[in-house]
Amino acid sequence: MRRGRPVLTISACVTAVLFVGACSGSFGMPRGASEQAQETFQNWQIFFITAIPVAGIVYVLIAWSIVRYRRRRSDPPDALGSQRTENLPAEVVYTAVPVMIVVALFVLAIRTDDRVTAISPDPDLVVHVEAFAWGWRFTYPDGETVVSPPSGEDAEWPVMVLPHGETTRISLTSNDTIHAFWVPEFLYKHDAIPGRTFEFDVTPTEMGTFQGHCAEFCGLNHAYMNFEVQVVSRQDFDSWLGQQDQVPA
Amino acid sequence: MTTILDRRRQAPSPRRGPGVVHRLVSTDHKNIGILYCVSAFAFFLVGGSLAEVMRLELMEPSRQIVSNEAYNTLFTIHGTVMIFLFVAPFATGLANYLIPLQVGAPDMAFPRLNLSSFYFYIGGGILVLLAGVAAAGQAAAMGWTAYPPLSEMRLSPGVGPDLWILGLVLVVISNVLNGVNILTTVFLMRAPGMTMWRLPVFTWNMVVVAILGLVAFPPAAAGLTLLLIGRRLGGLVYDAAAGGDPTIYQHLFWFLGHPEVYILILPFFGVITEIIPVFSRKPLFGYTGFLLATLTIGMLSTGVWAHHMFTTGVIVNPFFAAMTLLIAVPTGVKFFNWIGSMWGGKIWFAVPMLFSIGFMLNFLIGGVTGVMLASPALDYQAHDTYFVVAHFHYTMLGGSVFGIFAAIYFWFPKMTGVMLSEKLGRVVFAMLFVGFNLTFWPQFVLGQRGMPRRYVDYASGLGYDTPNLVSSVGAYLLGVAVMVFLVDVWRSLRRRTPAGDDPWGGYSLEWATSSPPPEHNFDELPKIRSLRPAFDRQHPELTP
Repeated sequence: MRRGRPVLTISACVTAVLFVGACSGSFGMPRGASEQAQETFQNWQIFFITAIPVAGIVYVLIAWSIVRYRRRRSDPPDALGSQRTENLPAEVVYTAVPVMIVVALFVLAIRTDDRVTAISPDPDLVVHVEAFAWGWRFTYPDGETVVSPPSGEDAEWPVMVLPHGETTRISLTSNDTIHAFWVPEFLYKHDAIPGRTFEFDVTPTEMGTFQGHCAEFCGLNHAYMNFEVQVVSRQDFDSWLGQQDQVPA
Repeated sequence: MTTILDRRRQAPSPRRGPGVVHRLVSTDHKNIGILYCVSAFAFFLVGGSLAEVMRLELMEPSRQIVSNEAYNTLFTIHGTVMIFLFVAPFATGLANYLIPLQVGAPDMAFPRLNLSSFYFYIGGGILVLLAGVAAAGQAAAMGWTAYPPLSEMRLSPGVGPDLWILGLVLVVISNVLNGVNILTTVFLMRAPGMTMWRLPVFTWNMVVVAILGLVAFPPAAAGLTLLLIGRRLGGLVYDAAAGGDPTIYQHLFWFLGHPEVYILILPFFGVITEIIPVFSRKPLFGYTGFLLATLTIGMLSTGVWAHHMFTTGVIVNPFFAAMTLLIAVPTGVKFFNWIGSMWGGKIWFAVPMLFSIGFMLNFLIGGVTGVMLASPALDYQAHDTYFVVAHFHYTMLGGSVFGIFAAIYFWFPKMTGVMLSEKLGRVVFAMLFVGFNLTFWPQFVLGQRGMPRRYVDYASGLGYDTPNLVSSVGAYLLGVAVMVFLVDVWRSLRRRTPAGDDPWGGYSLEWATSSPPPEHNFDELPKIRSLRPAFDRQHPELTP
């Protein structure tokens, strides 16, 4: 027992330091370039920070058991360990504590889900996105349309331009098989399913150019069904829109 | 005193086993078990080779060695082979070999049914491989999940997908027959004294797996058959234009698909839960809690399927998020069973124990990332990316396959009567452990950086180059590790270092008979008064 105490103190200190560092960490995830994405990013931080001590405790216990309870050279080869088979209080604790953790995570996860998928009653812009094998058609309110060139290894990525700081409603469908619209920086993807139209909002908070992919396997040129999202100021957006061809709906 | 009968029994040289034909038609459960394990391992080599080709293609940006079409076939057949033809049948092989021994029975309940289910599996496996090598433009290339509309005739023409469907239906039949056989054996053929609460944990886990199989496989067969009807006879169930819905297939498929991952992992939870106490020289810690956890996993696993469908927008997210988060709890309980079983022990780091420790270290990462994916918002980001690929390889390869190697090193002496090399075993373990983490850790990074799965190609300069390179190097190391393992098996079978009946000081009944056991399994059963009848016989001083 006495041997355990410094180990506990040290692990508590290490955990505390990690925790403080962790709260500002991104743990490899993009921080999110839209209001909705920032909600997801926070949820990611919470899940990751929870995972650190949980996994940490289990790893420390495994490591401790391996080192402390290894068979030593001085032990006879047929030496037995303790023959204890249960410890009810410990079993109750290691069942109840994880239940409490997952209940808390559940509440946070569902709250985030609700916020990420919430739809504004009056979006500033509605873009219809139609996925097809293997490209994208982005249609703006007055019929301005951007379409992928014929797909293939060297095809250019079509560009979807969005105004910065405004809420854009994406109305998503597919006309052949299941695709998925994914912009990693927006931390969001949604399947495009034939016969259904899905709506979600994105409110970009960062200007710039972001990659977009088809994420649901859709056959031969799936890997080349990419696109680009450019988030620009309202003025730049208006002048870009003015240059686009209008295709009657 | 030697009788003529004894001499006749000894007549064939101990070096020669039964002939090939005899092995292929014998209904002895030990023979069928070995047939399953050997065939499953052969499929592992096929599936692994396909993966090596994929890693070669992905090592550098831009497309180099395979066409888009061939690449799609590679991952379709890789996934199908590894899940349905390698891991699950390997567990079935272990179950066939071990369950009668562990419950003290002379054979499985239905020996001929048992052999026929093996041939359903082989038939299914051959059809799946044929689906992969069908003529250009006809091979199965719709992913192992085969979602319509992509898997419909219009978008996946040719016989490949049809062969694939028929192959899987045969595999389903094999699994259902097996489930019936396992349950009947365990419920009706236990030796006197072997109560359900003294049943070894591996057998208990296979009971739950058998029940899951009976529940989950038939709906998948229905889903696949509807797909086949749609392809060949124009059924409209999945056709949105005709009033159907392609997401119905996803429900049917994942209603199998998610219990399936527990069908793939529970047997190996069982395996390492047998191994860890033996090598810690302790009884299993918290047997009752462990069984309750296993049963809870079994029940919850039938209610988590649609967490594969968060991004479809057609399901009730909170229900599936809740079920998925809850299933982490009984899984976590098992970790504490394992730690408790090592705590206070005298741990002997023989190769089976090394693989069991590797299993724990890897599977934990698969587990915590699984909790992350249970959050619908996080899944929107991670779904269909390399993050998910890494996650499930940490459970299936880092978990189940490490469990398979643990099982091989543990029971090979029982099955063959000869030991595998301890030295080479350590080398195999070290290479597999390093190679595995080198292959799949970078894939978490790839997923976070935005690389979707099932991409034959990726653009340079998006942060995908280095992780892909590292991942490919790791994959080659894995390949070499498997070669070293095969050398170990070949060498050991030639050198024949005798194992004796009980090389490890095992606990369950299979260690109380010869290696390999006689055809009827036991000349004499020890008294079964606890969870550890073989141990009790060796340690009468500890028996209450």
